[in-house]
Amino acid sequence: MVSRDVRMSLQTLKVLEAFLADPTDELSGADIHRRSGIASGTLYPILLRLEAAGWFVSRWEAIDPASAGRPRRRLYRLTRSGLARAGEVLASFGRGVRT
Amino acid sequence: MNLHDALSEPPAARASGRGLVEGTAKRLVRHAARHAPPALSERLEEEWLADLSGRHGAIPRLSFALGCCWATRVIAHELGAPVRTAAATAERAAAVCADPGRSFFSRRTMIFVLIGSLHTLLIYGLAAGMARKVLDVLPDRIQVALVPRATTPQEPPPQTAHVKLQKFQVAVPSWHRDSLVEPDAVTISTVEPQPPTVTTESHAKPVNRVVGGPGAGFPSTGDYYPDAARRMGETGAATVQVCVDRAGRLTADPVIAQSSGSARLDEGARKLARAGSGHYRATTEEGRPVNDCYGFRIRFDLKD
Repeated sequence: MVSRDVRMSLQTLKVLEAFLADPTDELSGADIHRRSGIASGTLYPILLRLEAAGWFVSRWEAIDPASAGRPRRRLYRLTRSGLARAGEVLASFGRGVRT
Repeated sequence: MNLHDALSEPPAARASGRGLVEGTAKRLVRHAARHAPPALSERLEEEWLADLSGRHGAIPRLSFALGCCWATRVIAHELGAPVRTAAATAERAAAVCADPGRSFFSRRTMIFVLIGSLHTLLIYGLAAGMARKVLDVLPDRIQVALVPRATTPQEPPPQTAHVKLQKFQVAVPSWHRDSLVEPDAVTISTVEPQPPTVTTESHAKPVNRVVGGPGAGFPSTGDYYPDAARRMGETGAATVQVCVDRAGRLTADPVIAQSSGSARLDEGARKLARAGSGHYRATTEEGRPVNDCYGFRIRFDLKD
């Protein structure tokens, strides 16, 4: 997917920061909500926006809902380019990047 | 299913408060996901229901569900709104084409067209002078008067002259009305020439006297035809008495010597006579201009 610019907002920076705690993590929407505190009405449009821009990739959790006793989750992960761009953006905003 | 239905539909788990909240939250999430862009609808429904199961407590669940409703609007606006709008338009157009009894234009479109047409007509009317005609219909002053039958205005009585026919011969001046210079497009006729001044001197020479009248450059009656009189079809002639100096200028305000039968026409004649100051021919005696007062007729015809 072609990476392109994403409109940055404080909520978007919070989402990126939630991933940068451990860039290899795959997080669901609920996980991101717990880390960033962003409400669902704001969180999911940001996730879709970043995914469409190539910063994230997502996949379904590989579980059997019947045996797990819960529905499968959608997991998001930073791409390589997304990680680089997120680091640049957060550095430019003076928040620092933990790698 | 709309939002109201989602909230008002009795949930299966209404037996307990928790079940009620869970059922409502799930319905809200499903409702929100189904109104997302079609390409994302199924994915969002499953994703949101999975994330909803990770929330604990009634308020967080309802808050999450309501947030999903808002997220749907944002996502649809950013991604799917144009597609859905285009699809809806295409469906509507197809329905119109499939149903010959249905009007091609919607009721709202017809109303817009009607309003636009009325505005166009109004603007055109104003530009074409309709407003002026509307104003002209209303005379500035309403006069109620019995208009007499059209009669030929009487010539003003000749000035009194003391003539002793038994002693003197009256010398008629060589004056002819046709020889006067009349302004173009002015329907003005002078009063019959006054009888020549006759002296009682036994050996007085007859005076060659030419009574003045409107001269070159005199205003046209068409310019002073009262609008109200023109609209009401009033015609007639008024005799105006003017006093003119040797330079052709008025020395006194004109007066109506004989009415035309219409106060409007009389007023128009007086204005015309007043406006003609400086364009009168002075009365001449022996070829020399002199101050004089004389009357002349001003006729207003509709052809003016």
